[in-house]
Amino acid sequence: MIFLYIGLPLAVSAVLPLVGKASKRVLPDILANTVLAGLLVYAATGARALLAQGPVIQQVRWLGEAVNIRIALDGFSLFMLMTIQLVSLCIALYSINYMEHYGAKANYYALLLVMVAGMNGLVLSQDLFSVYIFLEVAAVASYALVAYGLGAEELEAAFKYLMLSVVASAAVLVGIALLFGMTGALGFDAVAAGLRLLEAKGVAGVAAALFLMGFGLKAALIPFHAWLPDAHPSAPAPISAVLSGLLIKVSGVYAIARIAFQVFDLPSALSQVLMWMGAVSIVVAAFLALGQADMKRMLAYSSISQVGYVVLGIGIGTPLGVAGGLFHLFNHALAKGLLFLTSGSVQQATGTRNLDEMGGLAKRMPWTAGTNLIGALSISGVPPLGGFWSKLIIIIALIQTGEAALAVIAVLASVLTLWYYLIMQRKAFFGKLAEQWSKVKEAPFWMTAASVLLALLVIGTGLWFATVFSSWIQPAADALAKGF
Amino acid sequence: MTFQIILLAAMIAASAFAVLARDLLKAAVALAVSSLILGVIFFRMGAPYAGVFEISVVAGLITVLFMLTIALTKQGDDVRESKTVKIAFPLFFLVFALIDIFIMRGILAKVPALEGAAEAGTFGEVLWKERSFDLIGQLAVILAGVLSVLALFRKRDRHDHE
Amino acid sequence: MIMNEWIVYLLFAAGMFFLGLYCLLTMRNLIKLFIGIEIIGKGVSLVLLSTGLARKSILLAQSLVVTYIVLEVSLVAVALAVIINLYRANQSLDIRSLTRLKG
Repeated sequence: MIFLYIGLPLAVSAVLPLVGKASKRVLPDILANTVLAGLLVYAATGARALLAQGPVIQQVRWLGEAVNIRIALDGFSLFMLMTIQLVSLCIALYSINYMEHYGAKANYYALLLVMVAGMNGLVLSQDLFSVYIFLEVAAVASYALVAYGLGAEELEAAFKYLMLSVVASAAVLVGIALLFGMTGALGFDAVAAGLRLLEAKGVAGVAAALFLMGFGLKAALIPFHAWLPDAHPSAPAPISAVLSGLLIKVSGVYAIARIAFQVFDLPSALSQVLMWMGAVSIVVAAFLALGQADMKRMLAYSSISQVGYVVLGIGIGTPLGVAGGLFHLFNHALAKGLLFLTSGSVQQATGTRNLDEMGGLAKRMPWTAGTNLIGALSISGVPPLGGFWSKLIIIIALIQTGEAALAVIAVLASVLTLWYYLIMQRKAFFGKLAEQWSKVKEAPFWMTAASVLLALLVIGTGLWFATVFSSWIQPAADALAKGF
Repeated sequence: MTFQIILLAAMIAASAFAVLARDLLKAAVALAVSSLILGVIFFRMGAPYAGVFEISVVAGLITVLFMLTIALTKQGDDVRESKTVKIAFPLFFLVFALIDIFIMRGILAKVPALEGAAEAGTFGEVLWKERSFDLIGQLAVILAGVLSVLALFRKRDRHDHE
Repeated sequence: MIMNEWIVYLLFAAGMFFLGLYCLLTMRNLIKLFIGIEIIGKGVSLVLLSTGLARKSILLAQSLVVTYIVLEVSLVAVALAVIINLYRANQSLDIRSLTRLKG
């Protein structure tokens, strides 16, 4: 039952506010984490076995009659499902302690589950309009989650995010309407078939431009990035981790990759545009990150830069490039999720996000400092961690296709990444312990546990990268390149 | 078609008034009027259900929500909008309209399209049988909205963030 | 013939987009900004339905528009809740009072 990925989180989130009346903390904690863990296990075992016989299309039956809910699972969507459940499980674990002081925990978990359901739905749908709907489901939940602290700063970030995001959705919907007008269909394959018959380069180009603008804004690619450095740092730390680790990838990168490959068949012009958008994002955001004193803002700019790598890899369009891009998506989801969680631990312990005020925290928070270092090194591409392999694959793929200039940019920007992460690590954790932090304590159990779990996963993907690559990434890239 | 164009022009006029009106309540009412006209346009296009939804939900419910918000934020009413914005508006609108007409006639008139067969069935069948997945999406988005509003208006017990 | 009709609707829908974007770019009142968003939304639903009309699949387009309106209601509720909270925090609806973040 693949439909569980949408139905179960929705059902649980509907009852969670009622459960919250009976038990303010314990039951919501257990319920949310169990649901996410169950879905993760199912993705790793059951759904994988289903897929062994080829892509699955499930027709849901309701009251004995077949209703037209066609959800489809192929290698790419399974890979995304796996990533979504994995990161959101770690985030839910972390929230057990972190969300204590925000109040209304049941409500928080309910919103988180709706967002997960929205992302799962997006990944499983095979229809342009359904993609749009689930994009909105995840987005509506994320506005409230960004504003969850209800401080002036959070609300301001949520408002700006909402305004830009709505314009993006409008652009996407107009693009969908245009394709619908030309081909009379909404399903990915039907639209693709129609476009092949029509050979309408010009109008298809307009639609593609609208999608690039809409999904580019969701993915925060430069020049559509203005909202992200506000929205991601303002949200509570676990939500920053979901937004940076998952939401921009699912509603931005996944959607654009799916549509570019499966609907437009990736013409070379689109491939070039994607590659250059990626490259510009990598470089500009890396320089912007360098100048930040706010820990979470630095991480947010770094997200823009790393999503640039993913788009660059996918934009190459060769099987190796796509695989590299997807692998980097996975590595970045784990590592950036981890970094936002550790930054949340630091913020909770010290009450500040300003790197200049910190210093020497490694002595008081060894677990946080260690896991933070692992995440930072993985994103910067230091061997043997996961981020190194994915960047290496992207660069090899660039050289193979003769894009030497882009390959040089990718390598140099990676050095820049290492530089600002080392600045962050040095300012926050190394050096002499500042006087005012002498009473700081290590983060509570579940917060540390979630960080350690993610750090182990980061190390694991690095050490056993060949296994991870051949069993998860390669099928995903094949599915994407081949079409459903 | 002529009547339809008059309605469309009226809708644009109402929306323009909603943008330019200084009083927020008047703006909200103008927006509702624009929705009403759009509902009628939908009806005349052969989409009665979409028209009813547009009138009852957008012109009705959303306007009520707007009114409520305006009432709850009464003192913030006197935000000074810049004068040049209103003066420059006709100019911008004229330039835009010319470009708009030029583009629509020049490029989009050549949109290639596949021949489609006329569809059979009723609206209910299409919505419930063909687009059932959208209904799940609708449920999800309503749930998201309700939970968001609950979260944004919750009592802040121990959390004093600022 | 039917295609020409589509162009007319798209012409006016583009007008709605222009109005909404003009509102978003020039106005300062938060509620006014959201009125701009609503106007864009109307433009989008007009595009959807007129596309259905041009394709002779008005029923399908109609169900898409109904779904879109439901989405819009949910969005409006959330946005207005954020605006009310912002007003409580800042005692103002002026966009210029939102300067805590650098953007």
